[in-house]
Amino acid sequence: MSAHAENLIHDDAPGHEGHGALSENNFLGLPNIKLAMWAFLGSECMFFGSLIGTYFFYHGNSLGGPLPKDVFSIGITSISTFLLLMSSVTMALGVDAMKQQKPLTARTFILLTAALGATFVGFQVFEFHEFYTEKHLALSTSLFGSTFYTMTGFHGTHVTVGVIWLVIMSILITKKKLVPGKEAVNVEVMGLYWHFVDIVWIVIFTFVYLLEFLK
Amino acid sequence: MSHGHEVGTLPHSHKKQYIILGIVLSIVTFIELGIPLMKGSPEIWTAAKELWAPLLIVLSIFKFGAVVGDFMHLRSDFTLYKILFISPLFLAMFSFFAIGSLSVVHFQPFGKGYAITAQDLSDGYVPPTVGGGAEPPWADDKFEAAFVDAQKGGFAKGKETFTTSCANCHRADGGGMPGLGVNLTDVCYKHGGKIAALYTTISKGVSGTAMPAWQTSMDSEKLRQVAYYVHSLKGLNVAGGRDCEGPKE
Repeated sequence: MSAHAENLIHDDAPGHEGHGALSENNFLGLPNIKLAMWAFLGSECMFFGSLIGTYFFYHGNSLGGPLPKDVFSIGITSISTFLLLMSSVTMALGVDAMKQQKPLTARTFILLTAALGATFVGFQVFEFHEFYTEKHLALSTSLFGSTFYTMTGFHGTHVTVGVIWLVIMSILITKKKLVPGKEAVNVEVMGLYWHFVDIVWIVIFTFVYLLEFLK
Repeated sequence: MSHGHEVGTLPHSHKKQYIILGIVLSIVTFIELGIPLMKGSPEIWTAAKELWAPLLIVLSIFKFGAVVGDFMHLRSDFTLYKILFISPLFLAMFSFFAIGSLSVVHFQPFGKGYAITAQDLSDGYVPPTVGGGAEPPWADDKFEAAFVDAQKGGFAKGKETFTTSCANCHRADGGGMPGLGVNLTDVCYKHGGKIAALYTTISKGVSGTAMPAWQTSMDSEKLRQVAYYVHSLKGLNVAGGRDCEGPKE
């Protein structure tokens, strides 16, 4: 693969963000890893699009309760939504610090992002537990139960994977196995994934939670 | 927003921009949360009732765009990345609306193909054309005995069918759902509340509404059981049911 033509094209394209791990740029001068991530996120759009679409297709067609309004708690969901949104800010700051060759600052922001993400997952576990034990909503209870748990569960899984990735990345930075600046693209790609997880939640929060409370 | 740089120098930092954007996104989120809370003040709520949902959607699109455009840098990044992300995004939105329109068609069948008309209803009963049972339910010798049996059994069979086929729109307790099934637990009936009339409505459906003609998927015995059960719901007036529609019986 000609992508291994080392340093043949080095980060000189206009508008480029200034990174590029050695020998990993393709013939367009774009880092393969970043191109792959955008392609993956494109497929993720369709993945979550169908999960959210399915939720709405069956919305209001459950044979019995509990219905969304009976189980949703806008207070708890708002807090976790806010935390996830803030984690996008800390993630962006982490990527920025990595590009500025400040690995320790970057690590602090990455760990902060991981902590916010883990708290979000914690809230979701709490929410699911409450729905299941107190509101008696299981995966098999109704169309609402199946579509709701599948959709939000897959999102929570994505957040969990992101948290693990963030922790691994901070360990790599600590062990100096990630060259700041040059290999900042690795952190940037992780950031893309993390921001994507955030935008999925932006959609779910508005369409599934907030619009439900308007009725 | 081009940040071309010489090799060896650091790229421009976006730190300030990120923090400002974070503050803006927080404010937008607080506005979003405030909207459902407006219900507390009915005057403001009803004044712009049709505006709240579009406003929430616009705010959500704004947040989406800000995170993708600025945090993910897609706005100033290469076109190839934009193509890779935005084309599947549109494809996903297209399937979303396609599924949505399918659900409208599925639950609100068009045309009068096999549904009854007001003239049919004036006679109280129209024999099913599909699924057998040409005889009116009251013409059956066993009609009364069957009704008594069903009553003794708590209309269990009818209830079973009701739960799987009718509760979708009429709610599990028969209270009805807005825009879908009417309340079956009050004493009002648009198309008659006698067993024969109920039998007809269930088997033939109601033209122009979401009520399908069940004669295509149920036999006369099943239709009758459901009619018995629906009749037994009369006057229960469950909580949160739809308002009375049609003449009282």
